Amino acid sequence: MPATTEYQGSSFLGRISIRRNQVVSMDGHHEQELEDLDLFQRNIADRFSELLSARPPTDGGDGGGDSSSSAASADAPFLSVAWLRKLLDVFLCCEAEFKAFLIMGRERDPSVIAKPPLDRLLPELLDRAVKALDVCNAVMHGVDAVRHCQKLSEIAVAALEQQPIGEGQARRAKKALGSMLALLAAEDKDSSGHKSTERTWSFGRRGGSAVTNKDRSAAAQFRTLTWGVSKNWSASKQIQAMSANLVVPRGAEASGLALPVYIMGAITVFVMSALVAAIPCQERSGLAMHLQVPKQFGWAQPMTALAEKIGEEWKRKEKRGMAGLMEELQRMERLGQALAEFADPFQYPAEGERAEEAAARAAELAETCRRMEEGLVPLQMQIREVFHRIVRSRSEVLDVLDQAGKLSAPTL
Amino acid sequence: MVPFEMGDCEPALVNHEMEHHIVAAAQHLVMALRASTNLDIDGVRSFLSNVEAHLSAKSTPSESRGWLLKEIEEQLRQHEIAIMSWETNQSLIWDSSSEEASEYLKAAVEVQKLVGTLGSVSPIRNAKQKELLLRAQGILEIAMSRLAEELRHILVRYKEYYEPEYMSFRSFAEDVVYDESFFSIEDEAAELTSRAEDGGSGTGTGTSNAPAEHLVSLIHPNMVPALKLIAQAMFSSKYDQEFCQAYVSNRREALDEYLLILKMEQLTIEDTLRMGWDKMSGEIKKWAWAMRIIIRVYLASEKRLCDEVLGEFGSVNLITFVDITKASTLLFLNFGEAITMSPHQPEKLFRVLDMYEVLAELLSYIDALYSEYAGASVRIEFHDLLARLGDYARATFAEFRNRIALDRSQKPFGGGGIHPLTKYAMNYIKVLSAYRAPLNLLLRDQEVKHPEPCLGIDSEEECSSDSSCALAAHVRSLVSVLELNLVEKSKLFKDSSLQHVFLMNNIHYMVQKIKDSDLRLYFGDEWIRKHIGKYQQHATSYLRATWSSALSLLKDGGNHALSFCKPTVRERCKSFCLAFEEVYKCQTGWIIRDPQLRLDVQIATSQKVIHAYRTFLGVCSGSIGEKHIKYTVDDIENYILDLFEGTTKSLPHPWKK
Repeated sequence: MPATTEYQGSSFLGRISIRRNQVVSMDGHHEQELEDLDLFQRNIADRFSELLSARPPTDGGDGGGDSSSSAASADAPFLSVAWLRKLLDVFLCCEAEFKAFLIMGRERDPSVIAKPPLDRLLPELLDRAVKALDVCNAVMHGVDAVRHCQKLSEIAVAALEQQPIGEGQARRAKKALGSMLALLAAEDKDSSGHKSTERTWSFGRRGGSAVTNKDRSAAAQFRTLTWGVSKNWSASKQIQAMSANLVVPRGAEASGLALPVYIMGAITVFVMSALVAAIPCQERSGLAMHLQVPKQFGWAQPMTALAEKIGEEWKRKEKRGMAGLMEELQRMERLGQALAEFADPFQYPAEGERAEEAAARAAELAETCRRMEEGLVPLQMQIREVFHRIVRSRSEVLDVLDQAGKLSAPTL
Repeated sequence: MVPFEMGDCEPALVNHEMEHHIVAAAQHLVMALRASTNLDIDGVRSFLSNVEAHLSAKSTPSESRGWLLKEIEEQLRQHEIAIMSWETNQSLIWDSSSEEASEYLKAAVEVQKLVGTLGSVSPIRNAKQKELLLRAQGILEIAMSRLAEELRHILVRYKEYYEPEYMSFRSFAEDVVYDESFFSIEDEAAELTSRAEDGGSGTGTGTSNAPAEHLVSLIHPNMVPALKLIAQAMFSSKYDQEFCQAYVSNRREALDEYLLILKMEQLTIEDTLRMGWDKMSGEIKKWAWAMRIIIRVYLASEKRLCDEVLGEFGSVNLITFVDITKASTLLFLNFGEAITMSPHQPEKLFRVLDMYEVLAELLSYIDALYSEYAGASVRIEFHDLLARLGDYARATFAEFRNRIALDRSQKPFGGGGIHPLTKYAMNYIKVLSAYRAPLNLLLRDQEVKHPEPCLGIDSEEECSSDSSCALAAHVRSLVSVLELNLVEKSKLFKDSSLQHVFLMNNIHYMVQKIKDSDLRLYFGDEWIRKHIGKYQQHATSYLRATWSSALSLLKDGGNHALSFCKPTVRERCKSFCLAFEEVYKCQTGWIIRDPQLRLDVQIATSQKVIHAYRTFLGVCSGSIGEKHIKYTVDDIENYILDLFEGTTKSLPHPWKK
């Protein structure tokens, strides 16, 4: 998956490095800067348009050049695991280009970093980066939870695939699905702030002995530990904080590096909020998906459209109660409910039509599980890659700031 | 009679061959009946009716398989009774007795075999067979569900935590000493070297004595075989996912609980970066401490448990282990990550080196725990973290150098005493030597700016190995940077005497610090000799700068005739006393903290001044007149002892005599 990143990154970076080696003479600076900025924005617009076009399972289409050749990206419906991986790819690409821009801009005029508005914007950017890291960690845990649901669904699939299906297997499937749905409901409840008392991942049919119960509810309280973030952390507040100081540069500020810094900020906020919406995550009530991006930018249109689409889905989610917008997760939830109903009043033998319907659903659930099995671990790895990239970039920007600081104040 | 006693026969073994046997036996019986003439008719009749009863009980359908299904049904019924009897029972099987547990497992395994037998013939045409299969599956499901329940119960009930007395964290909380001291520079080096006294390697805890393999039981050892049996039963019935799901969830919770016992908090990166240094330092200590316990003891034991319970099912044990522990390892990784993101402040160096050392030490254990593909991501993350901690330590080291090189003051440092920078730098450098091993590794390929050759390396092997190590080269360079900065600082003094006192004091301090510690090995005797020479030279220069003009008054100006002229001699004596008073007033405020050094300088001063004064008085006292001699030789000698005490004094003004 990093292949995509490298590929897209290198074309832009390549251009820049070639240009850097040319003798920059006369006052072509400004012109060049505008040209680079234009290219940067056009790339972003292209990438987001492609993400936007992902609604029906397309077969690659115009994305052939820059989407990786893996099967996952050829079929990446909106908000599916494969789509989320593409989204992260887009983030990584934009980030690489942004950094090139920043470093190039600095080479044109090293002192610019230490002057307004960048002396304010860059620290804000770094602060946003740190916040994004915590979102990554929270979402990492969320993917874990999704994988857990996948495992439970797989049990149900294994039971329902038995021929013939008897009461025993039906019960087995029902139990696994029940646990899966309960877990999803618990994730959702948690995400809207009501801590469920029994947030344990184990599922059981009876209370067991008193000891078991007591121990388990105690364990449930401990569970917060692996959320990846501290107890009172809230994903929606985090997103809000990240976008709080994100303001479009105006007037004289709009030239130079202020604009790319703003653009990168908008991309970061968008990508992080999309992850939070798609993947179960701690405390998401009131998650705002509306991105205030001025329409005059070419990339703003697809990004806003995506944000709106996700926002609509989110509203539905909040109404209906879902663990996350991830396509597979929603499908799993839906299929799980239907199959649990099928398994519930199970009477042997199941009538032909119902049995066929159930078999079709089970097959779909199996397919969903397969896609999750294929995609979730790589998604997790990619989230971690984004994490590490943000860490690295942050330290690079810090170095730049440090050098600029020394330049502006040569002697202490 | 033999063929009819088939109750114990394994259904799987029942096949056509057996049917042949039975038919052959029957034919044999018919033939025997025909052949025989005098029979016990009644006996035979009752026997045959017995056979008839057996047959009618077993097989009503005409198909030859029918009575076998009957047989299976009977077996199933018995196992069902065994299994269902526990369904109404609220107590748990493994709490009852091991016999009962093994009975139950046996029944479950038998049902699973029956399911296998019934399902092995496909397609299933026979309605009875299908019915039995579904019934068997149902019973199996009940049994498996029960086993999963028992499994969870055992995992909770027989969970064990060990209380590592020798790893009590309280000792950590109390010894948060030396890191903060760099801000309050006046601190004593004793605190700084607490680590060195702790034995050098390790983070100054008793944990370094922990055995390489320290495994504990996380589940009561008596119950491990039970887990294994349950695993076998569930895996062979294709309920492996249920097993793993229950097992992973419970063990994960146990690990979470244990982390809470260790007081490992879940911190966000943002929280960590906002932390004050005190808190951060404490958290780092906790991290290093908990890392050791978790990796070397807890996770190693968890892995063993996974191996014991799941070892026979291929790579499942490793995958399960990773599933249980991965989320918790992120807790450690993210904290380390956050630390390396924080600004490179020199005071953090030692704590970060602690982290580096702990992780470097644990890496081989981590590699072993997270082997193969399943563990690759965890393994790689820890390797990367180690590299980043190393980078951070290097950057912090460089920052320390900058701090020494770039420390600028606007005002001269009062009294010419030991500058805080000197104390700070030397104490810091002294602690560096306690972190020799990791620093040598980290600084090995780092270029030394302004290399300072090690002087006077003798042929002694030990000396050369110490003085040629990377750390030694860096430390020598650091000290020379410090020296250069001190020379710059000395220029702030307008009085050249005070410049010399300042440099003498500071170089003396450096030499003392080096001479009295392991640092001397890094510098070599020649360096020490040379620097002793340096501060002595400053002492000599001080004497000359301060006293030359005053003493010149006491010397005959070359003109013998004039020098004995009364008023001139008297004038000279008065001038000397005035000059002495001036020096006294000024230099009592100067500081030489080291008593020995102070005494040395005072004695040298005495020798020079008293000698000249005594000679002068010896020759001229007659000409001056007793009442015009303001200070006796003894007075001067006593007054000299007041110099460099750091409290400005004036000589009593009214004429003493």
